[in-house]
Amino acid sequence: MDKYIRNIYKGVYTVLVGMRVTIRQFFQPNVTHQYPYEHDFEKKQNVREIPKGYRGQLYNRIEDCIGCKKCELICPVDCITITGDKLPKGEQLWDSMNVVHLKDGREVIGIIEGDDKKIMSEDSMTITNITTRLGPQEVIDRLEASEDESRAETFSTDEVSRVVTRNPVVFYLDQFDIDMSLCMYCGLCTEVCPTQCLVMKDSLEGIEYSSFDRTDLIFEFDKQEMYDKDETDNTEAAD
Amino acid sequence: MPEIFSEGFFPNINLQDETNWATDFVRDVIIPRLPEAVAGHFPVELGTVLVMVAFAGIFVAVVPLLPLVLVLAERKVAARFQNRTGPMRVGPWGTLQTLADGIKLIFKEDYIPPQGDKLLFLLAPYIIFACSFAVFAAIPFGDGIPIPGDFNIGIFYIMAISSVIVMGVIMAGWSSNSKWSLLGSLRSAAQIVSYEIPLGLSILTVVMLVESLGMQQIVASQDGGIFTWLIFRTPFTFIAFFIFFISSIAEVNRTPFDLPEAESEIVAGFHTEYSGMRFALFFIAEYANMFAVSAIGVTLFLGGWQGVLPGYDFLGGFPGFVIKTLGLVFLMMWLRWTLPRLRVDQLMNLCWKYFIPISFFNILGTGVWGLIFRHDDVWSIGISCAIIYVGLISAYAVAGRSLARKPEPQPS
Repeated sequence: MDKYIRNIYKGVYTVLVGMRVTIRQFFQPNVTHQYPYEHDFEKKQNVREIPKGYRGQLYNRIEDCIGCKKCELICPVDCITITGDKLPKGEQLWDSMNVVHLKDGREVIGIIEGDDKKIMSEDSMTITNITTRLGPQEVIDRLEASEDESRAETFSTDEVSRVVTRNPVVFYLDQFDIDMSLCMYCGLCTEVCPTQCLVMKDSLEGIEYSSFDRTDLIFEFDKQEMYDKDETDNTEAAD
Repeated sequence: MPEIFSEGFFPNINLQDETNWATDFVRDVIIPRLPEAVAGHFPVELGTVLVMVAFAGIFVAVVPLLPLVLVLAERKVAARFQNRTGPMRVGPWGTLQTLADGIKLIFKEDYIPPQGDKLLFLLAPYIIFACSFAVFAAIPFGDGIPIPGDFNIGIFYIMAISSVIVMGVIMAGWSSNSKWSLLGSLRSAAQIVSYEIPLGLSILTVVMLVESLGMQQIVASQDGGIFTWLIFRTPFTFIAFFIFFISSIAEVNRTPFDLPEAESEIVAGFHTEYSGMRFALFFIAEYANMFAVSAIGVTLFLGGWQGVLPGYDFLGGFPGFVIKTLGLVFLMMWLRWTLPRLRVDQLMNLCWKYFIPISFFNILGTGVWGLIFRHDDVWSIGISCAIIYVGLISAYAVAGRSLARKPEPQPS
């Protein structure tokens, strides 16, 4: 009889303990993400850092692209579509420029003063007419905070890892589409790119694609906007 | 009891009965609006039957919407217990999800196992469905809301009609010609037949106190505010309420008593072979049952449509009734996500070794209580509430201490 009553006690008591546990859960905030609509995976604490050199989403720095179509040729799955035309003879969109790769991961595009063939032998070099700065986001943020208006900067040779010379752009690019639903992430196109403007993102942005329409995965890099922007920039500078 | 049989099987559908609401409706509302020539010859009896059928038709149309809401509520509540959001896509916050599921089920193939018993297979869901909804006929939803089946044996009728459900379950299990279905239906039969005993005995304590089987009379006897509700009327009905509630969970085959549908053991139990709309009928019947047993529990123990304060029944008490019923439904869902499924022997142990002896003890106690306190007054209710309070407090203290003192012997 003692055991009988103890059993009843124990049954009721343990059920009540269990119910207390579940009702606490009932009032906890939910953890669901409405995934295709909510892309806040970047805010999550448990996302690991993407290693450098990760082959993510293809991205073309279109202002550097010369439209050589090497990437289109080498692509094993034909995911890159380029159309464009040569400009009439004698015309060019802009002069040759230099892409300076620094050892801390930054890239600066501009024109090196003096003879760019001999730069590595000198102690320092000055880059003028800087158009683009690339590199790890925190470095760019820091630079932009302290950047003065002058578009020139001097680097010591120790900082520079290599310098790429960009030929004068004589090729007019109409279309540069990459179909990421076809891409197999081999990275061949980034290796053949002579100006190294076609890169694979190693950021969180390029690690997932979710869309209701497959055409959303075709990324278009439009040079026309840049041509227009360049003109407006020039007019602003003139004013 | 003799009067019940002398008046025929449905004593209150006596067409000469002056108090029948449908007859009143015909006499007071319909006949005065008829042309003079017809009014004198209008058959009151036929009109009464037609009004009753029409009102039952309203029930048949409205009550299936209930599972529609309850299924969604179940999914949302389950999601909350697991820190999820539940269905979110169809309609605002997924509120139309059940409708979408229903439409999907209508268009699915209605498969009939060729080796099974076709007639029984087709009939079984309708029997379960019909019995589930027949229960609603005798539930008093509020003051002034007419009851289609206003019998003076209301709770007896409910017990009787809800016992027929087990017939449908056995038919479904047998006719499916499937091992899972048969096992599920046999489990269901054993479970429902067993748990009907403590259920009936718990109801009997209420019937002893009210001295009536009619649902209206049971509700009418609890009209003095929260402390005159039958759950607080004696300490024994307090225990009886919990036995009733747990037994009714077993009756409607819900977790932790869902052995007839145990997914991990027998696929889906008695409705394994059903698909399409027939499966939906089982599903609707299950949720209608869930609401029905909660409504019966509210009517018998928690004051029905009577308010918490005496005389305060907003809109005929209907909103209060629904809130109380949904509270019990929520309690069922809460238990579902707390407790794991019982084993068959545990299920039978719980019923035969615990619930049935305690129920008999309750009946004995209620009888003695009724002899001591001939009429319910402040004294009897006060003593009852005091005993319940002291009992709960001491049980809490003793249970905690004795459980800590004697731990379970460890298996060597």
